Amino acid sequence: MPLDITLVIVLVIALALFFDFTNGFHDTANAMATPIATGAMKPKVAVGVAAILNLVGAFLSTEVAKTISGGIIREGDDGVLITPELIFAGLIGAIVWNMLTWLLGLPSSSSHALFGGLIGAALVGAGLNAIDFGVLMSKVILPAVLAPLTAGLIAFIATKLAYSATRRYDNKPDGRSGFRYGQIFSSSLVALAHGTNDAQKTMGVITLALISVNLQAPGDGVQFWVVVVCALAIALGTYVGGWRIIKTLGTGLTDVKPAQGFAAETSTAATILASSHLGFALSTTQVASGSVIGSGLGRRGSTVRWKTAGRIGIGWLLTLPAAGIVGALAALVAHLGTWGVLIDAAVGIGTILFIFLWSRRDAVGHHNVVSEVAASGEAVVIAPEPESKKVAK
Amino acid sequence: MIDWMAFVIVLVSALVGTVVVVGFYSFGVRLLVRAGRVPVVSPATFTDAITVLTPAEIRSAEKKAAKAARKNPLSAGQKNVALAGAYSCFSLCAIAVLYGIYLIVPALHGGG
Repeated sequence: MPLDITLVIVLVIALALFFDFTNGFHDTANAMATPIATGAMKPKVAVGVAAILNLVGAFLSTEVAKTISGGIIREGDDGVLITPELIFAGLIGAIVWNMLTWLLGLPSSSSHALFGGLIGAALVGAGLNAIDFGVLMSKVILPAVLAPLTAGLIAFIATKLAYSATRRYDNKPDGRSGFRYGQIFSSSLVALAHGTNDAQKTMGVITLALISVNLQAPGDGVQFWVVVVCALAIALGTYVGGWRIIKTLGTGLTDVKPAQGFAAETSTAATILASSHLGFALSTTQVASGSVIGSGLGRRGSTVRWKTAGRIGIGWLLTLPAAGIVGALAALVAHLGTWGVLIDAAVGIGTILFIFLWSRRDAVGHHNVVSEVAASGEAVVIAPEPESKKVAK
Repeated sequence: MIDWMAFVIVLVSALVGTVVVVGFYSFGVRLLVRAGRVPVVSPATFTDAITVLTPAEIRSAEKKAAKAARKNPLSAGQKNVALAGAYSCFSLCAIAVLYGIYLIVPALHGGG
């Protein structure tokens, strides 16, 4: 194998693992923000559990990875030739867009950034033929729209159920703080589900890269060492990201009660696990946000702030095309050959370093650290309950 | 070639799973309360958590729970039945979660 192809493959794997790491880093809060906020778990324990369960989850299923490595982009004899340079360009697009939205505090989805980057790069590099739009529509775009709605609806029903099953009209203790024990398990399930969906995306990209240089036959499953390194990268990211959350949590978290948190987390975990099983590559952040909003609406006296909800929705819609444009630009440059790839790498690493340094200069607030999931709770206003007023007196 | 059935499957299976888990857990909590064992779970110590109870508030919640337990109209046998019901609910909840994971992991049932 020529030296420059080896170089590109090594770069792709390194970048993909870095993406996996940032994904875990970014998403710890999704699983663990509510149990920490309701006091169900101590932060150190919560973060440790999240990291371990992400690791375990990554080993449970490879359906989503197969969607990416064998579905969306046509490779092999009857398809187009996907070069590792294109995958590299796609990853650069995804990472740059991800870092940018993280810095600006825009709600986005690392998963959609990844798909956007890859699709943009493939379109520029290999033309319209490169993308199987049927698979793209049925396994990525439609799940992206439907999954948060599904999770929201289920969380709404589950919250209603949890509250009505434990409601007491005689103002005696209702025992709802008992849901804190349940939350320990439900949030752990979310972390597990996160591993089954998000770690798979990186596995899919690495597998796609290996197929593109004939280190693996098209249609083969994910190699075991790929599963291991991806699982480790996401678990490490989860753990490291958690420490930042511990330091900065406390501002901007919405009022989540144990019963509501339990219902929301169960709904998130169930939706993600069912989707992973069918190979839908969805955004775990969006599903969790949908659940938090749905469960907020399930409580008495709640109303939606449509403006906040709309802002969140627009951020989601923008991610795919925006990352696609960055990916396409990176692919144009990568077409120049080895030098193009090196320029891409330099620009990508430069952007990451710049954004990292910039973010350290800024005060870290909840807009760029805690999670869009917690922020999405702000889309629902809940009138204070009469019982809690009595306690306050 | 969009497989709409798959979305229905996700919706239905996630809905059934969530309703079973949350439903059994909630009824378990209710039966615990009925059996006079009102759970009082104080939040883990964490200064930034929004649900922070002071030791005095926790003591008062425990007192209230104990008072409700004393006034419980059920006989000792009925309480035991309620308690057994609560534990069965929690067990069913755990079984549902484990069964869900069993279904998802192909290695556990030999499928591909």
